[in-house]
Amino acid sequence: MSGGAALVFEGVTVRYEAGEAPVLADVTFALGESERAALVGLNGSGKTTLLMAAVGLVAYEGLIRVCGTPVARRTAAEVREKVGFLFNVPEDQLLFPKVIEDAAFGLLRRGEGRTEAYRQARVILDGLGVGKLAERPVLHLSHGQKQRVALAGALVNKPALLLLDEPSAGLDPPGKLALARLAGRLDAAMLMATHDLDFAGRLCRRFIALDGGRIVYDGGDAAAVRRMWGMEEPVDGRSSPLTASSE
Amino acid sequence: MRTRWHEIWGCGRGPAARLAPQSRIAAGAVLFAAGLTAPAGTVPGIVLTAAVTAGWIAACGMPGRALRSFAVLGLAMFLPYFLLAPLLVARASAASGATALARAFGAPWDVFLHGLAGMLLAAATVTVLSASDLRRGLLALPVPDVLSAVLIQIVHQTGELLAETKRVAAAVAVRGGSGGGRSAVRALASLPRVWLPRIISRADRVAEAMELRGYAESDLRILGRTALRAADAAVLIGAFAILALAAALRWRLRG
Repeated sequence: MSGGAALVFEGVTVRYEAGEAPVLADVTFALGESERAALVGLNGSGKTTLLMAAVGLVAYEGLIRVCGTPVARRTAAEVREKVGFLFNVPEDQLLFPKVIEDAAFGLLRRGEGRTEAYRQARVILDGLGVGKLAERPVLHLSHGQKQRVALAGALVNKPALLLLDEPSAGLDPPGKLALARLAGRLDAAMLMATHDLDFAGRLCRRFIALDGGRIVYDGGDAAAVRRMWGMEEPVDGRSSPLTASSE
Repeated sequence: MRTRWHEIWGCGRGPAARLAPQSRIAAGAVLFAAGLTAPAGTVPGIVLTAAVTAGWIAACGMPGRALRSFAVLGLAMFLPYFLLAPLLVARASAASGATALARAFGAPWDVFLHGLAGMLLAAATVTVLSASDLRRGLLALPVPDVLSAVLIQIVHQTGELLAETKRVAAAVAVRGGSGGGRSAVRALASLPRVWLPRIISRADRVAEAMELRGYAESDLRILGRTALRAADAAVLIGAFAILALAAALRWRLRG
């Protein structure tokens, strides 16, 4: 199952409190190299916990491997070198006052020279449509702009695996389009937690649906996920309340 | 009149802004110490404190708006100490009239002068430091790296926390906090319960991001450093000379 896989979950269970119901229960799947999958599920279904577990930020039972390396405390640093991670609140991961400093940090800490690191970071920022903000203080940016800068920081190291938590949240339509274009050009395997099925459908051919911490669907049919959420169009043409209120 | 947190950092355009960041921090800290050391009870001490404060504000090119904001804040914080004077006069009544008055006003005056000067000196220093300068400067000074990294994050995250606080306050206002009477009291009483868990949760998430991005184990000097020049040395020597003068004035007073 794990041969050539970028991410493997085998019987993974996560509990935040001993004796409580698991947040993730016996989750098993594998994501191939360069494969892109959308991790979908309603609020509280365990999407963010799954992503956190994949980089060792959450204790788990079972086995997780990232590019063949088991995720454990002693291997956390090695695993994180291979992963680009986007948190669902971009402010949390912007650690530097200036946009270009934050975007280039991953390259600088790998030993890249400052000039080259800044050049590469600018290319990524340009690709996400925020190149002109490179010298701006992070605090002056809007939520959507911060989202793109945080994403640039995750992409700049050209990671083998991208774990994105709600990457399209807060982005305007051109921002979503730029992100979809950029992400579509990447070779990295990608697992994105999202509610935005339209956005996910542009990038992914595989949908992994979580419900109550368990995988309830793993396949290529976005319509199946819509049906699970009660979002299918009724026969009489009226939209369901869920369809009308989502997005 | 109000100046926002992130607008204060690096808004000064005076000659001090052209010094290396570490010199700006060191000179600001030494002058701050001089301002606190000069005795408030003598004319030379008062003149030195005032001159150092005015001189550093001018050197930093602190904008008038920021200066007014901090002056008002300083007055609001330190003037009320004079309300203690009547109590102190009563306690010092054993001395003769003029001496009792001088003693009673001496303590509040000491707090007022040093408090206001210290606040303005620190604020002026902040106006010649952008957040990036602060990082470069701290990392070039003999400060433990962990302390520097934490300080840098405190400054960086404070802006975000203030924005978060504003959002919480706005939500409180919208949901009845500004409706007056009981609803306002109830909403204000709930503020710490709403605000604190959010701030703690945010601190957790930032710590996770720092861990994930390798922030803690990285040498942040990779982001660049600035070498010292002759002007930096001159300013630092001047700042230490002023501190020595302030110390001499205080020492002479005690001697």
